[in-house]
Amino acid sequence: MRTLLEMSGVSVSFDGFRAINNLSFQIAEPELRAIIGPNGAGKTTFMDIITGKTRPDSGRVLWGEKSVSLLKMSESQIARAGVGRKFQKPTVFEAQTVRENLALALKNRRGPFDVLLYRKTRRGAARIKEIAEEIGLAAELPRIAGELSHGQKQWLEIGMLLAQDPRLLLVDEPAAGMTPAEREHTTDLLRRAARTRAVVVVEHDMEFVRRLNCKVTVLCEGAVLAEGSLDHVTSNQDVIDVYLGR
Amino acid sequence: MTQGLFHQNRSVAWFLLALALFVLLVTILSEAAGNGYLSTSFVKTLGKTLCLMLVAVAMDVVWGYTGILSLGHMAFFGLGGYMIGMWLMYARTELIIADSLRAAAIPPTPEEIRDAVGQQIFGVVGSADFPWLWIFADSLVLQLALVVLVPGLLALVFGWLAFRSRVTGVYLSILTQAMTLALSLYLFQNEAGLRGNNGLSGLQNLPGLDAVPQATLSIWFFWASAAALALGYVLFAWVVSGKMGSVIRGIRDNESRVRFLGYHVESYKLFVFTLTAVVAGIAGALYYPQAGIINPAEVAPIASIYLAVWVAIGGRGRLYGAALGAAAVSLLSSWFTGGGAPDINLGVYTVQWTDWWLVLLGLSFVAVTLLAPKGIGGLFDLLSRRHPVPLRTGDFGPDKGARRTVEGEEEK
Repeated sequence: MRTLLEMSGVSVSFDGFRAINNLSFQIAEPELRAIIGPNGAGKTTFMDIITGKTRPDSGRVLWGEKSVSLLKMSESQIARAGVGRKFQKPTVFEAQTVRENLALALKNRRGPFDVLLYRKTRRGAARIKEIAEEIGLAAELPRIAGELSHGQKQWLEIGMLLAQDPRLLLVDEPAAGMTPAEREHTTDLLRRAARTRAVVVVEHDMEFVRRLNCKVTVLCEGAVLAEGSLDHVTSNQDVIDVYLGR
Repeated sequence: MTQGLFHQNRSVAWFLLALALFVLLVTILSEAAGNGYLSTSFVKTLGKTLCLMLVAVAMDVVWGYTGILSLGHMAFFGLGGYMIGMWLMYARTELIIADSLRAAAIPPTPEEIRDAVGQQIFGVVGSADFPWLWIFADSLVLQLALVVLVPGLLALVFGWLAFRSRVTGVYLSILTQAMTLALSLYLFQNEAGLRGNNGLSGLQNLPGLDAVPQATLSIWFFWASAAALALGYVLFAWVVSGKMGSVIRGIRDNESRVRFLGYHVESYKLFVFTLTAVVAGIAGALYYPQAGIINPAEVAPIASIYLAVWVAIGGRGRLYGAALGAAAVSLLSSWFTGGGAPDINLGVYTVQWTDWWLVLLGLSFVAVTLLAPKGIGGLFDLLSRRHPVPLRTGDFGPDKGARRTVEGEEEK
């Protein structure tokens, strides 16, 4: 296990409000990590910083073997370097088919001319089919993504993430709006993905986190409050005070 | 590849077929074919309409597919016209001068001819010297290259600056309006070197082809415009199909999601913006020799707004819709403003269409936007019963029954 991502001393404030306060965080590859925390703890901002959407005021974010700084890279460069993100609300391209959505995410060269001259390959088609089967949408490939149910859109977005083949997956509330059976399937999928990659799951649902059975980081007011197994952090008095006690 | 294209877009084959039939029909009925069912001026109007259809198709790619509401594409169209106009004017004036000086006792030097040409062209703005802009004006090949290069480079530089700063939406539209306004104001100045508000004229006469009647020339340009439209249509159909189309429609619907998939959104926008600008330039280079004159008013901001109106009325997001919209509105416009439509006498007030056409156009624009957002192109859905442009069903995000969390703004 080598460290894939290392954040240290990261701070960011919006209009005087400190969303992230001297945050340090590390994740190895492969590893599965859950992040919990009360509302406003800075979980989404944390993801925004890693994916390049928000620039921190201070601190370092280092990536990979060569420890390159992610802070100098654009969102698309970071994504190409191997960071995949799933949003809280499912954001798929509603006007396009499930197949097109997956093909867009499929790991390929991303330049405009590469894309313009791109030709469908048998390997690509096979990979799309494979992913579609994994997320249970094999029968829906020709359908317009906008017609899918909420749960299916969540799946599609997870499928797009898999198609991207990232080294680090950032997953924001993957189980929101899912039925218990679907949640179980999601847990399996994330755990399987975490065998070869680093996976960070932001989740509110304790039951879901328990099933992930992994190291947990508790965020509060933009900093790490506690870290360890779920049982360890839930017995921490600080955590109980700010989060579980309420 | 092309087979796949026709398979994916059956509308391409239909469009080309309809265009070919239309060209055949117009050719047979034209004066050039010996019968005068269609006057030369009407053939020119139709040829110009084909050029407008081409620029509308380009506009649809940039607006309907990529979601960039550019209100400056007619600037590129006008620049294309200016570039070809410079050669047409220079070469023809040179021939006339050379002809008239041949009779002189001492044969004129090339220097003298050039000075006389300058006097002839720029006398109207009180000058006789060629501005630096005209250094290539004696070469058809170079001016044709400029038809592509000048709009292309302007779009490249403008687009790079605008997209790099992440200017989007209505702000970008305003910026493009500012660009076309600035260009128009610049060209209005005599010092700009393109004859100020006089513009370039006499473009309908091709140098060295004085013996060819306008009836024949008009049908040549009509054919050239049709060929350009056909090629441009196929080019754009290819661009918007397949993976490129998928990416640019993704950019239109959710730019940041595309970015997080690893695509450099700005490069894609720049590619589409520049490509469409180049095609607009080519369309302009075919349009203005048929119009005969180009002046800075042609690149005024209103021209680009009209372009957006045509595409909206025709139906965004499908190429044939934009083409039909441009054809319908521009032909109707010339019918109404050309005195074709009879005035309506209401007793107390006479509706004169030359004045009221714009009101009618504005009302139909509002009506289309509110009542039939798919525009004219939407009528074809009734025929095919398929929906090539799917409507977004429902909102993004969890439905009412789903578990929600308060935290986190809507992802933008």
